Amino acid sequence: MAIDYSKEVRAGRVKQRMVYESGNEMAAYAAHQIDYHIMGYFPISPSTEVAQHLDLMKTEGKHGIRLVPSDGEHSSAGICYGASTGGGRVFNATSAQGYLYMMEQMPVQSGTRFPMVLNLVCRSVSGPLNIHGDHSDLYFALNTGWPILMCRDPQAVYDMNLMALKLAEDPEVRLPVMVAYDGYFTSHQKRRVQTFEDRADVMAFVGEKPPEGFAHALDRENPITIGPYMNEPDYINNRYQMSQAMYRAESVFERISAEYFELTGREYPMLDLYRMDDAEVAVFVMNSASESIKDIVDELRSQGVRAGSIAPNMIRPFPQRQIAEALKNVKAITVGDRADSCGAHGGNMLNEIKAALFTYGNSSTQVVGRIYGLGGKEFMAEDGRHFFELAIEAARKNAVDVPFDFYGHTPGDPAKAPKRLLKPLNFDALKTGLITVTPNEETGKLAVKIPPLRSLTKKPKRLAPGHGACPGCGIFSGLELFFKGIEGDIVTLFHTGCAMVTTTGYPHSSHKATYLHNLFQNGAATLSGLVEMFWERKRRGEFEGMGLQEDFTFVMVTGDGGMDIGMGPAIGAALRGHRMIIVEYDNEGYMNTGAQLSYSTPLGHRTSTSGVGKQQQGKSFHHKDTAQIMAATGIPYVFTGSEAFPQDLVKKAAKAQWYAQNAGLVYGKILIACPLNWMSPDDQGAVIVDAAVSSNFFPLYEVEQGITTITYDPEAKNKKVPVSDWLKRMGKTRHLLKPENEAALQEFEREVDRRWNRLKAKHEHPDL
Amino acid sequence: MAVLPEVNQLGFFEIRLESIGGLGANLAGKMLAEAGIIGAGMDGVSFSSYGSEKKGSPVKAHIRFCEMGTPIRSATPIEHPHVIGIFHEALLKSGAASGVLPGGIVLVNSAREAARIADEAVLSGCTVAVLDATRIALEEKNKVNMAMLGGLFRLCGFLDPAFMKDVIAASLGKKYPQAVEQAVRAFERGYAEVEMLEVAPAAELPLAPAAAAPLGYLNQPLGGMVVTPGSSLLKDLSVSRSGMLPAFDRATCIDCAQCDTACPDLCFVWEEQPDKRGRMQMVLQGIDYQYCKGCLKCVEACPTESLSRMLEQEGYAAAHQVKHRFDLIEA
Repeated sequence: MAIDYSKEVRAGRVKQRMVYESGNEMAAYAAHQIDYHIMGYFPISPSTEVAQHLDLMKTEGKHGIRLVPSDGEHSSAGICYGASTGGGRVFNATSAQGYLYMMEQMPVQSGTRFPMVLNLVCRSVSGPLNIHGDHSDLYFALNTGWPILMCRDPQAVYDMNLMALKLAEDPEVRLPVMVAYDGYFTSHQKRRVQTFEDRADVMAFVGEKPPEGFAHALDRENPITIGPYMNEPDYINNRYQMSQAMYRAESVFERISAEYFELTGREYPMLDLYRMDDAEVAVFVMNSASESIKDIVDELRSQGVRAGSIAPNMIRPFPQRQIAEALKNVKAITVGDRADSCGAHGGNMLNEIKAALFTYGNSSTQVVGRIYGLGGKEFMAEDGRHFFELAIEAARKNAVDVPFDFYGHTPGDPAKAPKRLLKPLNFDALKTGLITVTPNEETGKLAVKIPPLRSLTKKPKRLAPGHGACPGCGIFSGLELFFKGIEGDIVTLFHTGCAMVTTTGYPHSSHKATYLHNLFQNGAATLSGLVEMFWERKRRGEFEGMGLQEDFTFVMVTGDGGMDIGMGPAIGAALRGHRMIIVEYDNEGYMNTGAQLSYSTPLGHRTSTSGVGKQQQGKSFHHKDTAQIMAATGIPYVFTGSEAFPQDLVKKAAKAQWYAQNAGLVYGKILIACPLNWMSPDDQGAVIVDAAVSSNFFPLYEVEQGITTITYDPEAKNKKVPVSDWLKRMGKTRHLLKPENEAALQEFEREVDRRWNRLKAKHEHPDL
Repeated sequence: MAVLPEVNQLGFFEIRLESIGGLGANLAGKMLAEAGIIGAGMDGVSFSSYGSEKKGSPVKAHIRFCEMGTPIRSATPIEHPHVIGIFHEALLKSGAASGVLPGGIVLVNSAREAARIADEAVLSGCTVAVLDATRIALEEKNKVNMAMLGGLFRLCGFLDPAFMKDVIAASLGKKYPQAVEQAVRAFERGYAEVEMLEVAPAAELPLAPAAAAPLGYLNQPLGGMVVTPGSSLLKDLSVSRSGMLPAFDRATCIDCAQCDTACPDLCFVWEEQPDKRGRMQMVLQGIDYQYCKGCLKCVEACPTESLSRMLEQEGYAAAHQVKHRFDLIEA
C-alpha cells in the first residue's frame, strides 16, 4: 500500500506518533504496547531481533512481558502453548527451521483453541542452509489451523500485530493467529511507521483483558481437562468446529479492520487490489514483492497497458471469493509463488487461485504460475516486468504455453565449474606416530605422550585457510589445536553455528576431509547414525578400494547453543554409547545469530537478550555445567580444555580419540573467545580464556571412566586469580565490577567456588 | 523540509555504503537515514545487506530519500546511487563503486589522491571524493564510520550536520559521555577534510556483462554438496584487515609454535629442515598474508620479539608473504 501519511494522520481518530523503525522493531513495539503476559522464544534469524528489542525495552522498564528464553523452538512453542492455556496473552516470533521445529505444536494449539500471536519472519528452509527471505516456511503453515495475516511493509507489521490479537481472541474465532512478513526485506527495512501514541488507545482497541467466558487452566473453581484422548466419532467434529472458526475469521477480520480503519485511517481489506478496476492483465505476488510490483503497474499503465496487481492481506482463510471477483474480467494473470509445493504442478497460491476460479465458474482467465525469489533472491523491476509480459502474452494468445515453471534459476557454465584442487590427505602425514596412548592395566587410565607443539606443525591442518570467521575468533585456534591430538582420518559433523557458516559458504568449503552439517538440535543423532553405518558397512566388507587404512574418528563439533537445543539427542547418543566425540566450542552465547544468551552464558553477562540497564543487569541465572551433565550419562571420557593450555588440550584430544575408537562416546568442552560479542580486543582471546581458567571459572579437568582428575590446578600452581581479573577484560562483563553490582558479583563468585570445591572433592575421592 | 538536489525516475535520491563488517557502516547508514527522515523531514527507507556476516566480511547499507508522499515500494538493493560511500579502499577492486549515476559522487576512505583512485577504479563522469578516515579514526580514537559520516554529510548538503551531532550525543551520551567528544571530532574532521575531484566523462566504456554464475542447475552437484574439499584456500581475506598486521622477524624466532596455536586463520607456513646436528625439525618460514585478518593474536602469543604489530603499508604484505604450499592435484 502506498501510504499517504498526511492523509492517514488526518483521517485517524486516535493520536498517532511517527517512528522510523524496521519490521522486527515494529512487531516488538506492538507487543510492548499490548504488554503481553508471556513470550517464550528461541533465537533464529531473521526473527531474533523481535526478542532482542523486547529485551532492550524490558531493560529500560518499558513493559512487563515475562520473556522466557527457551532451549529450542519446540520448547518455545511449548512455553507459549502452556502459557496460553493459563488465560493470559502470549506472543512469539520465529523463522524457517525454527518454525518447522515447533510445527508439531501448531495444530495442538489451534486444535485445543487457545489464542496467541506468532510472528513468522519468513525465510527459506534448509537444507542447504539459507537464512534469507522466501515463503518456504510460510507454506508449511497453511495447514495448521492458524489464521494467517500478511504484511508487506513495517507499517503493516505494526498494524497486523494489533489486529491479530483481537482476531485470535474474538469469541467467534478463538484460534492462534500468525502474522507473516518477509525476512530481511521487511524485517530489517526501516520505514516511517505511524503508531498509536497512547498505550491506552491500543488497549481500548484490543481490549484491556482477553474476553471473559473462556475456560483456562488457572481457575481453581472450574477445573478443566485440556487435550483429551479423542477418537472417532468426536475428532472429526472437533476439526469441523475448527474449520468453521477459521472461515468465520474472515468476516471477523473484516469487522476488526474496519474498526482499525476508523481509528487510524489505514485500511486492510482481505485483498489489496491495485488498479484492478479495469485491469486486463494482473500479477499476484505476496508481501514485500507486492509493493515493488505496483511501480511496474504504474509504468505499464503509462504505456497504455491495463495492468493491475493483487496481494492478499490474509491467506488463511484464503480469500477465494474475493479473488474470483477480482479476476472476473481479467484476461490473464501471473501468479508468483515465493516457495514451491514441490510436485504439485504449482506453488500453493497458484493452485489455490486456480481452484478459486474453477469454484466460481471462471474458465476464461488464463493463469501462469512461476516460482520466484527463493532464498533471498531479489524481486527486481525487470522481474516484475517479466511477470507482466507472461500475462500479456497469455492474454494475447488466450492460452498459456508454460503454465508452471521456475523463474530466475540459472543453468551454470560447466566449463567454469570449480575443479577439485587438493589431493586426498596423506594418511601417513596425519598418522604421525608422535602421539602415543597406552592403557595402564593397573590404574585403568590412559597414559599419553605428546611431542613439543613444534613437531606437531608437521601434521596437516584439518581445515584449509580461507574461512570467513571474525578476526581473532577462538573457534579455529581451539579446534585445530584439538585436532593436533587426533591421529589419522576424521569425519566431522558441524552443528549450525559460526564454525559451520564460516567454513562452508557455497561453493567453497574449508574442510579437507568429509564434513556434514545438520541443524543444531540434531547433530548427535545424525552423527551416531553415520557411525553405525560405518561399522555396519565395515562388517560387510564394503570399504574395499576406498583407500581406508584405519577406522575414521568421528567428531561432532557444536557451539554451546547446540548443547542447549541439542541436549536431548546428545544425551541420547551418549547413553547409546556410539563411538564418537562431541566437542563443544563454548563462547557463552548464540554468537551466530547475534549474541543472544545461551544457557552457558554466565550470570550477569551482557548479551542481546540479557541487557544491562535500569531493570536488569545481564543474565539472570547461572551457566549450565554441561560437562557435569554429560559426565552423569556415564560415558567413558569427558574433558574441558582451552587454547591457553595447549599441551593439556592436545593430550585430552589423544585420549578422546582412544576412547571414541575403543569404548564409546566422548564429550569435551573448549572455552573459546568471541572478541566481537565479548566486546574485547581481537588479540586478547587466549589471555581472556587463560584468566577464565585461572580464576576457577573454567576448571581444566577430565572424567575418565567415572574418575575425576583436575589437570590444571591454579591454586596448587600459585596462579589463582580473582574472578574479577577475568571479568574486567571483557566489555560484556565490566558492569559487574561496579559497586551497584557487588551482590551479583559475589553470588557469581560463590557459584564458581561451589563448583570448584565440588570438583576438588571429586578429584580427591574416586567414588564421587 | 530539505530539498533534494536531484532524484531518479521513481523520485528517490539514493545512497549506498560499501564496507566490511566491524567498520560501522551499518550504524552510519542508520544515522544518515535518520538525519534525513527524522532530522530533515524527508521520507525514505533504509536497510543493510544481511547475511551471516561476520566482522571482516563485506556489508552494504542502502538509503533512499524522497519527498513526503512519494510511494516507497521497492525493497531491492540500490544499483544506481547518487552517492556511494566506500569505507574500505580495497573494496574498489570488487566493484564497490559500480553503478554510480553520471554526475554522482564516490567517497572513498583512502590516504591516496583522488586522481589515482579514479584512475585505478576506472571512474569517470562523476566526482571522486577521498577522505583518510582510517587515520582520523586512529587519531581520534574512534571508528571509521564517524569520519565517513562527516564526509557523507558534506556531500549531501541537504542534511544538517548539527542534527547529526545531536544524534551522536543522544546515542552515546548516556553510557559513554567521553566518547561523544571523540565521535563529534571525528565527524567534524571528516566533514572538513574531504577532498573532491570532478572526473570528466570518459569515452563510452563498454559495459561489462554481469558474470553468469558458473554453477547452475545443469552442473550443481546434487543436494548442494561441495565436492572440492578445502577450496576456501582460493579466497583472499586480506580485505578483512583494518589497518594492522603482524610482521615476522626470522632472526629472533625460536620456532616454539605458539603463534601457530594462536592463529585462527591458519596463516603460518612451516617447513621441515635439518638443524645444526642434521636432525629434521620444523622451521617457521613466515606468514601467508592472503588469509591474515590482522587480529594480532600471534603477536600477543609470541614469547620473543619475532612477531610485532605494524601499521600495514601498501605493498608490504605482497612483498613479505610466504605462500602455503598446498598438496594440489596437478593440472
